[in-house]
Amino acid sequence: MMTFPQELPTRKQVMARHRGNGGRIALVFPVHYPRALLRAFGFLPMEVWGPPGFSTAEADAYIQVYACSVVRCGFSALVSGRLGSPDLVLVPHACDSLQGLGSMLLDFPKVECPVRPFYLPRAGGDAARDYLAAEFQAISRELEELTGLHPSGHDLLASQKREEEADRLLARLHRERGRMGLPSLDLYRVLRSREYLPAESFTNMARQLLHRHRPGTSAGIPLLLSGIVPEPMEILSLLADAGADLRGDDYACCGRRLYPPGSSADPFRRMAESLLAAPPDSLRGSSVQDRVRHLLQLSHGSGAKAVIFHGIKSCEPELFYLPQIRAALESAGLASMSLQVDLAVSLPGQVRTRIEAFLEALS
Amino acid sequence: MSMGPALRYHLNVTLLGRGFLRWQRLRMASRLKKTRSHQHLAPPLATWPRLKEILSLHYLKGRYVSGHRKVAWVSSGAPVEPLVALGFYLLYPENHGALCAIRRMSEELMTVAEDAGYSRDLCSYVRTDLGSVLSGRSPAGNLPRPDLLLCCTNICQTVLHWYRVLAHHFDVPLILVDTPFLYRGATPHALAFVQRQMEDYVSEAERVAGRRLSWARLRRVLTLSRDAVELWARILAQGRQRPSPLTAFDAFVHMGPIVEMRGQEICVDYYQQLLAELRQRVENGVGALEQERFRLLWDNLPVWHRLRWFSELLAARGAALVASTYANAWGELASLIDPQRPMESAARVYLHPILNVGVGDKLRKMQGMVEEYSLDGAILHSDRSCKPYSIGQVDQRNALVRGLQVPSLLLEADHNDPRSFSPEQASGRLDAFLEMLESHS
Ligand code: SF4
Ligand code: SF4
Repeated sequence: MMTFPQELPTRKQVMARHRGNGGRIALVFPVHYPRALLRAFGFLPMEVWGPPGFSTAEADAYIQVYACSVVRCGFSALVSGRLGSPDLVLVPHACDSLQGLGSMLLDFPKVECPVRPFYLPRAGGDAARDYLAAEFQAISRELEELTGLHPSGHDLLASQKREEEADRLLARLHRERGRMGLPSLDLYRVLRSREYLPAESFTNMARQLLHRHRPGTSAGIPLLLSGIVPEPMEILSLLADAGADLRGDDYACCGRRLYPPGSSADPFRRMAESLLAAPPDSLRGSSVQDRVRHLLQLSHGSGAKAVIFHGIKSCEPELFYLPQIRAALESAGLASMSLQVDLAVSLPGQVRTRIEAFLEALS
Repeated sequence: MSMGPALRYHLNVTLLGRGFLRWQRLRMASRLKKTRSHQHLAPPLATWPRLKEILSLHYLKGRYVSGHRKVAWVSSGAPVEPLVALGFYLLYPENHGALCAIRRMSEELMTVAEDAGYSRDLCSYVRTDLGSVLSGRSPAGNLPRPDLLLCCTNICQTVLHWYRVLAHHFDVPLILVDTPFLYRGATPHALAFVQRQMEDYVSEAERVAGRRLSWARLRRVLTLSRDAVELWARILAQGRQRPSPLTAFDAFVHMGPIVEMRGQEICVDYYQQLLAELRQRVENGVGALEQERFRLLWDNLPVWHRLRWFSELLAARGAALVASTYANAWGELASLIDPQRPMESAARVYLHPILNVGVGDKLRKMQGMVEEYSLDGAILHSDRSCKPYSIGQVDQRNALVRGLQVPSLLLEADHNDPRSFSPEQASGRLDAFLEMLESHS
């Protein structure tokens, strides 16, 4: 039995173990991508959400300062070798900045390994599903060439089903967060281990955790967080210290990636179905209305009284929707506040003061 | 539609407006003849009053069109031909944004949007437009409320977020034509995806218009689009002459019709006139600058709020911007337009604009222009507001400098926000760049 989250292996350990077993490493930029496909070819996806707190010197030489810190920190970490030497870099098209990053890495190579950007459809419906399935199939053909492996349809489907099981348990961890008795910071370390653990390991860990029943006291002010990524993670302890009770999230990195299972027997189609059925996300082009509806459902379901929009500075996809979403939440009786952080610098003291003032006003 | 709006429209536009604008054009043309030429610039093009007339007429129609015709707001670069064929009045918020900046209104409007909670990190076109929507202010009088929004992601994802906000605000339908970014050329599934969306788009537009699309009319509109795009390409190609009869600043101003009036006779007619005038200039050896010493490329959007400032500063130093990737983007795709196969060709055409292809493709485009236009250097506008155009410029500049030995300058500005532009810094950097060019020559 593990003790959480102390016994969670680090990214480095997981990477080393996977490599030791003859596996390959794929570094993956945000947000949505076909995990099952990479795994079927022996790649372990390691997601790159910043990482925060590193120098952006490499980015300064190539990327304008008005690009967000997720892109600038990620680029720096990648080209400086701080993320190790991957066998593949996957850059999903989540926004204009990641489009630029993917295109730059492809056309003006800065790393030794292959780089594969891919487009995520923003339209809905069958046309989008079919496009995405065909795109996954095209990636699959390229991976066959790259690795010399030829997983069968059955292998691909089995890989997708493993990911679906991990996603199902991830969704349960989100929903049943209250009864595991983990402080927010620890809970999010566990939830975010899905960014680098193989689905099988994550599934085992999640099952153990879900057997625990240690409800904590939920005396704080119930709220939701929304944004791109809960970084720097100290924000979670800061919230707890200030008296917040985090009931759920709408982070692109977390709550917006609770993928339901697909239903098709064709593996590529099934991967596309699952990805496109995730909760509303501005990065997938969802409407303001859909995002409001989702946030209201989350808050009603969890009893949250407020939403803190914790965004990344210069992140246009998130910033666009804020005024209208906040107005809609306000008319539904939900308070909200917005703060933007830059991952390249440490959390300014003013953030603490603002959070404290907001929670004080709520209490 | 009731009779009232139609009467109002015809009275104000067809009867009074057209007459007034024609009179204004004639007055302006006769004034132009008497204007002393600028110390460093050739006299303005004689077609300029006609351009002003047709653009003013377009906005005048917009003031009275509500209730008379259906109105659609569209993103630049969207496949508008079905809407034109269905008789929609089209408004381009980006063009309107540029107009606001040229008329020095963008800052005031952006402040309205920022006060309403829209971040200063958002594209300045968007802030200008939202400021206009929220305040009702515009240099064009007032803008018609949309019945429909059409947005295409072939320029950026920003437009999609922008149109989502507009759709929520106006509570009207949004048609999205999602065009996968072409990192490495168009795949069959990308083409099929866009074509399927085009088919859905037509049904939704027909529903809002309350009428069926005439395919014969659509083919006619596509033919006009193709003719206009071809003419535009020929107009820009006059910049290859030495001296060049036009600069990129002329192109920025004269691109209004190709963006706003594609698919209409008026656009083709106007560009025929403009091309004839430019050819005349070439024949007479008249250049856009009194003295053309350097021939430069401009990359990215213009700095709309400082067009004249840039134009005079560069002209005073004999630097002619004879080509731009931005204006060029509207003349590149004529050969892909096939009026006989409207849906397939729309998918192909609208997947390929410069902003929907990789940064390496854009570099190759610039490298080609260096040869075709005999360029001495390049100015790459690093536009704070336009990430899709700007990210990758450092590598592109390095490749131009190292690969082609073309001196290139990365210049920080913002196309619509004067607060993100320092004229002192820009003129200092431009001076140093031109001195360097001088020493190279
Ligand atoms: S933080 Fe926003 S702008 Fe930056 S990569 Fe993520 S989605 Fe794009
Ligand atoms: S200026 Fe750039 S970011 Fe803004 S709407 Fe145009 S293409 Fe998009």
